[in-house]
Amino acid sequence: MNLTVNGIAREIESAPLTTLLDVLREELGVTSPKVGCEQGGCGSCTVLVDGEPQRACLTAVAAVEGAEVTTVEGIGTADSLSAVQQAFTHHYAAQCGFCTSGMMLAAEAYVQRGGTDDREAIQEALAGHVCRCTGYVKIIDAVAAVARGEEFDITVTAASPGMTNLGGVQ
Amino acid sequence: MKAVGARLPRYDGIEHVTGRTQYVDDVKVPGTLWTKALRSPHHSASFSGLDTSRAEAMPGVHAVITWEDVPLLEYGHLSALGIPADEPLLAKDEVRYKGQPIALVAAEDEDTAQAAVEAIGIEFEERTPLLDIRRAFDEDAPKIHQWGNWYPHFEGEMDRRQIRKGSIEQAFEQADTIVQGVYRPAAIEHVPLETQVSLVVPEANGRLTIYSCTQALYFSMGVVAAHLNVPLNKLKVVGGTVGGGFGGKVDTATETMCALLAQKSGRPVKWRWTREEEFLCSSTRAPWHMEIADAVTKDGWILGRKMLTLHDSGAYARFSPYGLTKHSFHHTGAYTIPNLEFDGFVVFTNRVPTTAMRGFGVTSVSFATETHMSRIAHVLGLDPYEVRLKNANRIGDTSPNRIVYTDPSTVPVVKALAGGMGVELAPDYAAMDREQRTGDLLPEHLVGQLADPEDH
Amino acid sequence: MTKATEVISPTSADEAASLFGDGSGVTVIAGGTIVVPDITYGRVAPGKALLLGGAGLDTLDAAGSTVTVGAGLPVQRLSELAEDVEALAECALNVADYEVRRQGTVGGNVCAGAAGDAPRGDLQGPFLALDATARSAGAGGERSEPLEEFLAHRKDRLLLDLTFEKPAASAFASLDYPHTHAYTVLAVTGVRAADGTVRLAATGLAGHGARLRAAEAAADADAAGAAAVGDVTLGDDALASAWYRERALPVLVRRVLAKLGEAA
Repeated sequence: MNLTVNGIAREIESAPLTTLLDVLREELGVTSPKVGCEQGGCGSCTVLVDGEPQRACLTAVAAVEGAEVTTVEGIGTADSLSAVQQAFTHHYAAQCGFCTSGMMLAAEAYVQRGGTDDREAIQEALAGHVCRCTGYVKIIDAVAAVARGEEFDITVTAASPGMTNLGGVQ
Repeated sequence: MKAVGARLPRYDGIEHVTGRTQYVDDVKVPGTLWTKALRSPHHSASFSGLDTSRAEAMPGVHAVITWEDVPLLEYGHLSALGIPADEPLLAKDEVRYKGQPIALVAAEDEDTAQAAVEAIGIEFEERTPLLDIRRAFDEDAPKIHQWGNWYPHFEGEMDRRQIRKGSIEQAFEQADTIVQGVYRPAAIEHVPLETQVSLVVPEANGRLTIYSCTQALYFSMGVVAAHLNVPLNKLKVVGGTVGGGFGGKVDTATETMCALLAQKSGRPVKWRWTREEEFLCSSTRAPWHMEIADAVTKDGWILGRKMLTLHDSGAYARFSPYGLTKHSFHHTGAYTIPNLEFDGFVVFTNRVPTTAMRGFGVTSVSFATETHMSRIAHVLGLDPYEVRLKNANRIGDTSPNRIVYTDPSTVPVVKALAGGMGVELAPDYAAMDREQRTGDLLPEHLVGQLADPEDH
Repeated sequence: MTKATEVISPTSADEAASLFGDGSGVTVIAGGTIVVPDITYGRVAPGKALLLGGAGLDTLDAAGSTVTVGAGLPVQRLSELAEDVEALAECALNVADYEVRRQGTVGGNVCAGAAGDAPRGDLQGPFLALDATARSAGAGGERSEPLEEFLAHRKDRLLLDLTFEKPAASAFASLDYPHTHAYTVLAVTGVRAADGTVRLAATGLAGHGARLRAAEAAADADAAGAAAVGDVTLGDDALASAWYRERALPVLVRRVLAKLGEAA
């Protein structure tokens, strides 16, 4: 069957009832969606399917034949971070980072469908996403900032995307 | 000091938001085998007839291990702190908690591994489990551990953590009231988003590369080396980003088993726990049972404290004696109590062994002591801030284990708390500081501990 | 895990009904939010899987006084009925979270069995209170029957749609765990029909959802609350005990009746 993943058309060999999560991670080597619970309870596997956030662990790949799947790798790169990615960096919304992929895609979809900086609305939109590290406040701060259209200066050195620039301290 | 007070980017910030942070399960090595475990379905049972032959013969199965495959079956993870070994890596002859691993299978895929586990023969004879720490001391309690039902190897082969200070009898005689309380926090699961996982790769040079989610890389390396009976230089442990640990990823829960399977099969082996295994079989923060009886005066001085702590260690000791030891030093909380009788026991039950979790050993006693301070205020009809402020640790006071406080922060913290809550303290309390006790702040019962900390 | 499965994806309701046959040997996958984890954890090993996503069952017709909800409609879309049937929308939005609601279907929810050790099928409550008619396919062909009767053999039928008359007023009250996508412990829905009749139904019971007929017949809210306990069988499960539910049920009944009383 066929699937477009982050803009690239792929032909899927896995059995039709393989979860989209396993297809992405094991067959296609796209590892940003995580295996947290495999029962739709934690949100760390969320991807965008035709722009809408969906749990990849609950999705049989045959059910999304022909769809456009977007993961974190498809919303921005170190040289060109999306607003959500910048906001999460600026607001320290990630600690261990395991929930981050799912959180950001849910946030991305929320903002795309016109979500505001109302904190309750943000919590409702991200309600399916568990974070054990941050206590959620900074995540909500980040999403609210994106909803308000804020700009961020995270002073990243493009030449070394793996290491942020300690020399850029103000 | 450029960093203090500055906004610094996280070194892994960009990796996290671009999905490139690598966790163990993201490492893909061709030929990796999938692992499933045969786990005890019973809280307590003996077993016989463990037969892995059918599993081993299944197509797609590359290795099966039981206790017989482990060069050193029992290794005390904290033997450096004097805690002897008591827990087999894989169960031998008996199981002492539901979920205890008995055998592991490494196979081509998850389904095959699971089918092989189900093909392992074993016969259980269930025994009456011990699940309530209070019952551990009963004459007719089931005996569930080779050391007895509670840990007996504290220094001097004591069976408890014991603190004695001053004269508790005198304190109780002089008291106007005895205030009692029982505090029983329950077990707490860590629930890291990333479940327990490791991947072990046998290298051509004879070493094993271990991708581990451990919080304590060198510690886990030592544990694996000990069980496998290999020198440390045979292991290369690759740690990295842990998807949440909180104390639960110090148990070296998967690495040794994967190492044995990798050695036996000659293939890379991964064991990733399901969320169900993580909830049912992983170690938790321990449940505690704490009883406090304080001898108090009607104006709120605490003359003495009697305390009994039972710590639920689960089926094996792991790190519990260490946790209880830390707990014992803090059993007066942020307050100075000169007459003490503390007894703490590490009690075994047929539950998953408990482990560290943020503030290991101390969060329990902080909860109990703070609640108890409020209880004292309530019983005596006094202001809870005032009761705390007069008994607060001050410079020169001594801790339960006779450490002299040089820099205690109780007084400023309690005052800041009152301020933050909009509570106005009475003038003499608002004026209090943490300087060495004098005058009204130095009643008779606190004189000895101040003047003569070693000998009080 | 899924190697030997034959997967069929009908493109119309008729095709779905025909491929379903009498249901034997067929695993129905609508949204997949319940069945896919069952497959992942080895509780279900489908021989033949019927994927309903493309069968056109995701319809919603609320133009007139009668509403027909397709079994394939995502739970989230019941929010579109907020004005006409407030309780149904409120109940739907109380299920799981936005992502799971968008994927899970009305049919999957209504036909769900108990989840190991917790109740499911929250939507059974509102649809029972609405006295909905269930149209389904299966052995003996297509038939329509009161939802109450359908629920007894929901495992053997392929639900196609639910039909009900728009009520004059509706109300919903639930007992939840704090985390939003934990299961609902207990819930009551009340409906005042156009002719003034009041119907009550509850979920979170020992079996599937049920009408509270003794409560409906009671003289006032307090009597209704007390009578409701006799209308149901309550059980212990991972979420709560029967003892606790017995004390919570009258409270939910009184709340629903109070809200209905206030509604225009």
